[in-house]
Amino acid sequence: MNRYRALARARGVASVAWIAGAFVFLFAPLVVVVGASFDGGNRTFLNFPPQEFSTRWYFQIAPDLFQSLALAVGLGLTTAFLACILGVPAALGLVRAEFRGKAIVAALFRAPLQIPAVVIGVSFLKLYYLIGDVFGLRLVGTLPGLLIAHLFLATPYVIGSVVAVLQRFNLRLEEAALSLGASRIRTFRRVTLPLIMPGVYAGAMYAFLVSFGDVPVSLFLGGPGMQPFAAKIFNLMEYDFDPSLLAISTYIIVGSFASIYFLQRAIGLDQLTRSGGG
Amino acid sequence: MKARWHWILLPSLLLSLGLLLASQIAFLRGGFFRDLRLGRMGTDFTLANYERFFTDPLYLDSLVLTVRLSLTVAILTLLVGFPIAYVLARLKSRWTLVLLAGIIAASFITIVIKVLGLIIIFSSGGFLNRFLMWTGIVSSPIAIVGNPGGVVVGLMHFTMGFSILLLYSVVQTIPRSLEEAAEIHGAPRWRVFARVILPLSLPGLVVTGLIVFNLCMGAFTSAALIGGGKVFTLPVLIQQTVINQTRYGMGATISAILMLVTLAINGLSVLAMTKLDKRRSAVA
Repeated sequence: MNRYRALARARGVASVAWIAGAFVFLFAPLVVVVGASFDGGNRTFLNFPPQEFSTRWYFQIAPDLFQSLALAVGLGLTTAFLACILGVPAALGLVRAEFRGKAIVAALFRAPLQIPAVVIGVSFLKLYYLIGDVFGLRLVGTLPGLLIAHLFLATPYVIGSVVAVLQRFNLRLEEAALSLGASRIRTFRRVTLPLIMPGVYAGAMYAFLVSFGDVPVSLFLGGPGMQPFAAKIFNLMEYDFDPSLLAISTYIIVGSFASIYFLQRAIGLDQLTRSGGG
Repeated sequence: MKARWHWILLPSLLLSLGLLLASQIAFLRGGFFRDLRLGRMGTDFTLANYERFFTDPLYLDSLVLTVRLSLTVAILTLLVGFPIAYVLARLKSRWTLVLLAGIIAASFITIVIKVLGLIIIFSSGGFLNRFLMWTGIVSSPIAIVGNPGGVVVGLMHFTMGFSILLLYSVVQTIPRSLEEAAEIHGAPRWRVFARVILPLSLPGLVVTGLIVFNLCMGAFTSAALIGGGKVFTLPVLIQQTVINQTRYGMGATISAILMLVTLAINGLSVLAMTKLDKRRSAVA
């Protein structure tokens, strides 16, 4: 019996160690970014742990970094909103309608997920040039151009998470509302919509993250002055590194953790893990 | 009455289908035309670009490297991620939620910032390298930039968070009572793992592995930043070819082959899975 207990304890220690190791792996880069952002030393290379504490980089964040951050947030929110407008009806149609070729339609909606983002970036670049040649409409380096491509990237996530909720949906609830005399529109607004809302929130959040975190599409389609945050950081890291990058990245890291807290309060983390947004 | 559901699907279908076809056709058909200078293209249909891909070692090596890196990352992600997902799913503690929230938060943060952190950790004068050299484990600093191993680490940071979440929901579908039943009948722990947990989570493991594999095949950001102009995976090569050299034709060819190879590997794995499944159910 003692041997079993010892074994069980060893197993417990091993699993705690494994989890701890994984968390160190996952969080080390974030801790290092936050830590190094407070280093005031002279920068021949980046210091972690910080050599001398200073917040000076926080006052030296270039205004165009803030601009690109504002652009990315605005673009992400617009993408998330429009992706819901497109994705929720698509999901309802996919789950509720019976028609031939439904599997094909579902696959078409998922298709953007199968195309590498680089390929989406360069193919939209080509398409935009073509549209420019034929219609004289300029899309490269413009906000609408970025928005269309981001919508293409992000809508499948909304469809996916709303479909997941709808498949667990109890149709009786709608029937009950209808049989009690509610109109179709009222039933939709008062019964269907509130029930699928967690899926919509989760989908909107994934859509925002896809847009906010995207580099290749924004890199190719955004022009000077039209670079969302992630693409801007990418460029700065490749060409001219500036320590204030660490400071603004720290804002993002803190913001992400704060948003988790609010999401947990608003819709519950279960919803996020269950719809497993890929 | 029922027909209404068709119509609400139509606008978004037309839009996504339109964008999908327009962008992919406009781009991919370029693969069959010769690149002239300054982004202009020839007018004669040709397979020259495809021929070049399969004869020029630059492209073939890149394809092999991309598949190898993606496979490595998929396997490592499952090996590291599954035990964590398992423990989290079985843990009955107030900490579960906090740990899960941590993983979700980590997977929220854009890969650019994580790569920034990785580069600091592995910088030649950084604390990790100084420590490793002090202990004598390595004699010269480990570099992450410009080295395929570094790209693997970067890609794992890209895929680990959501893989754990996916696997977590897989383990949650396995009733604990099945494990207990096996244990009561005297099965040692490894046997419970090999005969109960593993077979039941195999489909989920394969799906997660494939998602990770596909993401890595197409991953650009971490490969480009950590590769540092030395590790050319296919997505990095596509960017180089199209953006820096304005060779849309060759870029389209590489893209087409990248997507076809990814699709083929997915198809083969699904096929292998169903075969395995059938054989197993025939035995049972």
